[in-house]
Amino acid sequence: MIDPAFIQDVIRVLFAVVIVTAAYIISTRNMISLVSVYALQSLTLVFMALALYSLEGTTVLLAIACITFASKVLVIPYFIATIQERIRIKRDIEFHFLSPTTSLLLSMALMLFIYIALAHIMEGTPGRESLFFFGAVIGISLMLMGMMVTFSRKRAITKVLGYLTMENGVLLFGMFVTELPFIIEFLIIIDLIILVMLTTILTVGLDSTLEDYHNRLHRFHLVEDTEEGP
Amino acid sequence: MILLAIILIAAASLALIAVSRTNRQMNTVCIAEAALFLAIAVWLLLSGQVPISSFVIGSQYFFIDHLGLFEVLISTIIFLLAAIYARGYVEGLIETHELGKGSLKLFYGAWAFLLTVILLAFFSDNLALFWIFAELTTVISAMLVAILYARDNIDAAIKYIFIASVSMLFSFVGLVFLFETSRSVSGEGTLNWTVLIQQAHLFPTGMMIAAFALVFIGFAAKSGIFPFHTWLPEAHARAPSAVSAILSGVLLNVGIYGIIRVFAIVHQTPAVTTLSPLLLVFGLLTVGIAALSMLPQKNLKKLIAFSSVENMGILLIGLAIATPLALFWVLFHIMAHAFTKASLFFSAGILHRQYHSTLSTDAVDDIRDVFRLQPLAAWGVILGGLAIIGMPLFPVFFSKLFILLQLGSVSLPALIILLFLLFITAVSLGYYVISTFTQVSRPETRDDIVAYDTPLGMKVPVIILLILMVFLGTVFTVGEITFLDRIVAELMF
Repeated sequence: MIDPAFIQDVIRVLFAVVIVTAAYIISTRNMISLVSVYALQSLTLVFMALALYSLEGTTVLLAIACITFASKVLVIPYFIATIQERIRIKRDIEFHFLSPTTSLLLSMALMLFIYIALAHIMEGTPGRESLFFFGAVIGISLMLMGMMVTFSRKRAITKVLGYLTMENGVLLFGMFVTELPFIIEFLIIIDLIILVMLTTILTVGLDSTLEDYHNRLHRFHLVEDTEEGP
Repeated sequence: MILLAIILIAAASLALIAVSRTNRQMNTVCIAEAALFLAIAVWLLLSGQVPISSFVIGSQYFFIDHLGLFEVLISTIIFLLAAIYARGYVEGLIETHELGKGSLKLFYGAWAFLLTVILLAFFSDNLALFWIFAELTTVISAMLVAILYARDNIDAAIKYIFIASVSMLFSFVGLVFLFETSRSVSGEGTLNWTVLIQQAHLFPTGMMIAAFALVFIGFAAKSGIFPFHTWLPEAHARAPSAVSAILSGVLLNVGIYGIIRVFAIVHQTPAVTTLSPLLLVFGLLTVGIAALSMLPQKNLKKLIAFSSVENMGILLIGLAIATPLALFWVLFHIMAHAFTKASLFFSAGILHRQYHSTLSTDAVDDIRDVFRLQPLAAWGVILGGLAIIGMPLFPVFFSKLFILLQLGSVSLPALIILLFLLFITAVSLGYYVISTFTQVSRPETRDDIVAYDTPLGMKVPVIILLILMVFLGTVFTVGEITFLDRIVAELMF
């Protein structure tokens, strides 16, 4: 059996990795690496779920690790990377409202604020060990950092990645704060996949002229060829 | 069992749409689906077994109570009429090449799927399950907005998806809070609403405030509450009118429904004293921003869309008052608003077909000779406008009046502000109708505009809804009142 203290240390290191990946997603202009970093972030969550599993032994965590790996490390990044390749967008240099530096500073302030707010809210609840409390703080911070990406970037594909980061934050939060039934986690993944597919398909439309767009839809077999009239 | 029936009907509809080839066939499937669901809802209503326990439905995550049934009845009626309306409307869209023929299957498939998801959402006992269905309705309805052959539509759809989905994630965190609260109280966590409402009086105030505030963010975005309303006017104005009617009449209700459910839990705790004023402020701000946006508005569909924002604000204000009587009229207003708004969008859709060559979603409407060309749609807009501003003979009159009266007993300044804002919205609608509908083209250019031959299927829903509205506004049946009273009692107000 592995020493629980060691596992807790591992989880702390993974927290740091998650924050670094989020900071990278906020500040980078390179779209290709954005997807890889997202995959890395999801992989960190998988390891975190596994580490928690070895601490607590609930099978739900194992199941979460499996579906997170399948969907967020493999399927979704692959799908986005394929779309990116086809629409040939390499860089997203347009930022609304926030420049990367301001975003980074802002997210640091956010984390501090969440720490204080959560400490206040969770004061009365029993059994809040420091590790679990810390997980909740990191989870919500990740969510808000993702939100900043969603609203500060112009390209819809980067917005999608912001949304995915947010969702990772929710997963992290849910994992550390409580144990949600597995069915819920599973349905969220389904919802996520539909959302990602739809928005990326629409993105193809935004980033091209309309005629081009419909040609592309046909090429991807997303819309059937025009049929005969009634 | 009921769940199985719903899923079977949905699967059959989707399969039939997949093998259909023409607009007519697919449309017929959608009409049949809505009619079947309506039949199930009416059967449930008449059977008198409601609330139905999870056992009969077939899953522990679902239940049917009066509020769910009420929402399902409204939704299926609007879906049925919208499907009848869509037959002629979509044909027009295809003729003018605004909708590709290849997209038809996607359009009707999404339509049929949307209705199923909405039904499942209203029959969900588990709040997390409701959250997922609500989230799915956003994605599917965004698809219906984006389906038109225009870049602006894609823009509007993406804005809609991101604002609603991002906010909904906050709701989910709120639900995690709720789950954890229930776990700390009872030992075993649950998100089943029926259990939560029983445990609610034990919940700690601080956690409840945090949970409700987070849940509110998401459902407020879904129902177009300030400051998350920015997606609404664009999405509602750019969607095909049959879809606009659904967005306004049904989908906004999904958000408000979520707020009502969680507020009912909060209502059992002392947290309600903190949260009610908050709802009141958001309600007033929502009505205010809608009223000020309506005043300079020259585009009919955007005007109607902003009026939806206004009515969501009124619902929130009614909820904030938190008395049984106010809740009764909030529920009545949900129904009144849904039907009125659907009829307005149907009429606006006919005008859109008539003037589509000159009518872009941003431009000022160039409506001329409206009484000669489209008398029914013109009267539909006028009567619908009168109904939505709350004139007697129409149901909104009663709900607005009683919500205002109740508000007066809570806060007089709030009442005065709200009255002033409602006056502005009424003036905006009136000004629009008077300034646009009186335009007549010069005699020599009179024959340039060819009258759009409105199909019967597009006229009938408008007429049915107008009759229904007058009926609801003049006759109060005992059954209706007991039904709404039951909802209030089940929400433990």
